[in-house]
Amino acid sequence: MNISFEESWLHKVNPALKLITLTFLFVFVVMIHHLNDMITFTFTVSILFFFCTGHSYKRILLFLIPFLLVFFSTAVSMILFGKGETTLFKLGIVNVTEESLFRGLHLGFRALVFAMMGMTFVLTTKPVLLFYSLMQQLKLQPKYAYSFMAAIRLMPIMFEELQTILDAQKVRGVHSQKGIRSLLKDIKSLPIPLLSQSIRRAFRIAVAMEAKRFNSTNERTYYYHLGFSIFDLLFIGYFILMISLGYLFATEFPLFPVTDVRY
Amino acid sequence: MSNRLKLTDILVTIVISIGFGILYKIWGPLYYAVKPLGIHIDQLIYGMWFMAATVAFLIIRKPGVALLAEVAASSGEFLMGSEFGLEVLLYGIIQGLFAELLLMAFRYKRYDLLAVSMAGISSCIGSLILDFYKGYIGDLSTWNLILYMAFRFIGTILFTGVLAISIVKALEATGVTNLVRSSSQKDFNSLDQ
Amino acid sequence: MECIASVNKLRLKFPEEKGLLFKDLSISFQEGEKVLLLGPSGCGKSTLLQVLSGLIPQSIDIPIKSESIQIPYSWGFVFQDPDSQFCMPYVDEEIAFVLENLQIPREEMTVKIKELLTTVGLCLDDIHTEIQTLSGGMKQRLALATVLALDPEVIFLDEPTALIDEEGTAEVWDTVKAISKDKTIIIVEHKIDQIIDVIDRVIVFTHDGKIMADGNSTYIFSNFKEELKRFGIWYPSAWEEYKKEKVQNTLTKHSDSLLRLENFRGYRKKENAITLEKAAVHSGEWIAVTGANGAGKSTLLLSLMQLLKTSGDYRIDGCSIKSFADLNNRAYFVFQNPEYQFLTNSVLEEITYELRQRNEESHADVFKKANDLLTIFGLKDKQKQHPYHLSLGEKRRLSVATAFIQNPQVLLLDEPTFGQDSKNTFKLLELLQEESQKGTIIIMVTHDLNIIHHFATTVWKVKNGKVITDWKKDDMKTGSEGDVYEYIF
Repeated sequence: MNISFEESWLHKVNPALKLITLTFLFVFVVMIHHLNDMITFTFTVSILFFFCTGHSYKRILLFLIPFLLVFFSTAVSMILFGKGETTLFKLGIVNVTEESLFRGLHLGFRALVFAMMGMTFVLTTKPVLLFYSLMQQLKLQPKYAYSFMAAIRLMPIMFEELQTILDAQKVRGVHSQKGIRSLLKDIKSLPIPLLSQSIRRAFRIAVAMEAKRFNSTNERTYYYHLGFSIFDLLFIGYFILMISLGYLFATEFPLFPVTDVRY
Repeated sequence: MSNRLKLTDILVTIVISIGFGILYKIWGPLYYAVKPLGIHIDQLIYGMWFMAATVAFLIIRKPGVALLAEVAASSGEFLMGSEFGLEVLLYGIIQGLFAELLLMAFRYKRYDLLAVSMAGISSCIGSLILDFYKGYIGDLSTWNLILYMAFRFIGTILFTGVLAISIVKALEATGVTNLVRSSSQKDFNSLDQ
Repeated sequence: MECIASVNKLRLKFPEEKGLLFKDLSISFQEGEKVLLLGPSGCGKSTLLQVLSGLIPQSIDIPIKSESIQIPYSWGFVFQDPDSQFCMPYVDEEIAFVLENLQIPREEMTVKIKELLTTVGLCLDDIHTEIQTLSGGMKQRLALATVLALDPEVIFLDEPTALIDEEGTAEVWDTVKAISKDKTIIIVEHKIDQIIDVIDRVIVFTHDGKIMADGNSTYIFSNFKEELKRFGIWYPSAWEEYKKEKVQNTLTKHSDSLLRLENFRGYRKKENAITLEKAAVHSGEWIAVTGANGAGKSTLLLSLMQLLKTSGDYRIDGCSIKSFADLNNRAYFVFQNPEYQFLTNSVLEEITYELRQRNEESHADVFKKANDLLTIFGLKDKQKQHPYHLSLGEKRRLSVATAFIQNPQVLLLDEPTFGQDSKNTFKLLELLQEESQKGTIIIMVTHDLNIIHHFATTVWKVKNGKVITDWKKDDMKTGSEGDVYEYIF
């Protein structure tokens, strides 16, 4: 993403460590079954997402819109159709119960947290540094790391190419109709030129890389050196502190009178 | 004729997956348009997220490709700033692993509709297991859950099986797949004509 | 002098082809030689470079056999496509990638990167510049810098300027000349007038991969001119000789103005990206759209095709055009990459696609039309082939043929002769000329001054998103060649 922002302390956290920490937190979130704990954890992640990425508030709010959509759409089917006993509202097949309402909200918050954690990572990590870090800290094989970096470089080129293909096919009368029918046609006509160009391009890049003496088994030096710093401690410390505080708060002052949202 | 993944195999697999990531962006609106209805029509389209794995496998025909394709597709989506955040990564890994296991059971020798549909269904099972933990889908009322799973299975066969095979057939017709298929002993022998 | 690279009795065959590409080819290169490989497209010149560098079979899995191959101890390779030879997003990172491969310590990298960039004449304010922001010529010079990082004895150049504009071509060859002093250079190229003075050996191949001639450039160009012409090589006087043979395009005056534009604007992301104040175009006019990279030439064509949002008055044949649907097949756009527009699995299906979709004419009529066109376009015996299997020249011709079959009144083309050899270029231009004489308006983006001179009747110059239309080609001829050049670029 080619947008301006200020580097925050989150940028200085080691990328591999950041990724692993967030993965652990992901598993941790899946194991939260209490709505009150879920809400305090959402708060913990929101602080980082809103105030610590170094991006402008306007941009952050813009990102938030689709997140809220995901919140809503994740929550809704569980609220409307989930199991439960204390019926609040019933109409035809729709059966909203107290249990399903809370469970739906819980799922909505969960989706929101995943989205914010993911975005916080993306907004504060340069892909190239992530892969250098994965090679240096986690011994990822260079042939995978450099392939990923090459592919990321191709992404905007491929986006542009897709737009051109859409236009070029429109001239031939492919995408002129609206609706499901033309969409089904697209599903067949778009992938062939896009994939055939991409395969050829990827193959050529791989050959060019080997022509530049790339060899995955050789030792190599690194242009970017990535190590650890005080910010890594700060990052982990923040979560330990906030999760403990959140747990205490949720136990002392529960917002909702529910314990476990599972049926 | 080694079965290890070479740099070309890896890069082509990743770029194919990213290509799908970009196609999803075009097809995605359809998914969101039907999702909030609550009756799971969106699940019919869910199978397209497993497609990168089978298409890449059908093109390169080597062990590890299906897993790599799913990981690449999901990290691509993740790095583009998906609204599903970290969860796409985990789903990608699990779906890829499940597809890979099934292809392994066929000893990577079958490139037909049955094999790739089964691989797709395997991915699908993987994703459902995650849904049980993450989305509490077990707590949906029974009719709703059955609809959810049935739609997802049907969609999976359509996308990872039928559509993937037809896309790869069309790509083979263009000749581009020859780039990544290993040459055989027969090709080598034909030098003596 | 010592032999630095050679093959002896090389046999090579592409798995999907029937015959051998090389059958017992033997060739050797001496240290310090500057060699140019010439031949018709498909004769295996590029493949030979890949064998000599060891890329085949090391990286590209194609079966080969030979009695012996000598691969140079150190070599570098510059490829044709500037967009598919880099793996990193930034200039410094790309060169660093090579230095990492060579295990150069990190502390030495920055200095080395700056040195290399200076050597190839890439003076960037910041070495951490995105590669995507560079022009084609700059990208190829970056490729040269990465090659120099390998400190090679031999540099292989596989049509490094085929996909970049004139200005970039000159930059690339100047750089090659500057760095090649004590190195062996082996080049495959179609546009040769800019390198001919540094070449001391030319090897000409036949279409079936045999050596037809091998000697110094004076010898080759005085004895094999006819062959080079037949192979479509842009030898130094290709255009002059073509001009002698052909009559110039003169505009048959049509009084009606078929296409009218007034205060026409095209928008990208809601921003005004191209403006054309006023223009009236007569049927049969051939408009060359020219201007620097990024000036808005493609934007103009996309706007005229209604693929971008537009405003203002735009009429074809009296009908106001406000949307893509309004065009109703009056205009057709041939994209630069023909593959983007291919939809079917055979040449015949491809050319009849729209007519079959519209279903207005009888089956027999459609196929008669298709047959006639395929004959004119020299694609008759390829009608059952998959469009992707055609050569580049044939692909371009097919995509123009699919336009012709629909008889558009306005035909838009984006650099249709780009990267083509002389034979295909002349053939395509003649086909377009015939169509324009029937009354079709041709609006074509091109950088080629020769085309502007000999085919266009009108020139539109695009500069900073504005189209300058108010001068005719006749104005251009009155000035000297140099003035024209200045005016256009």
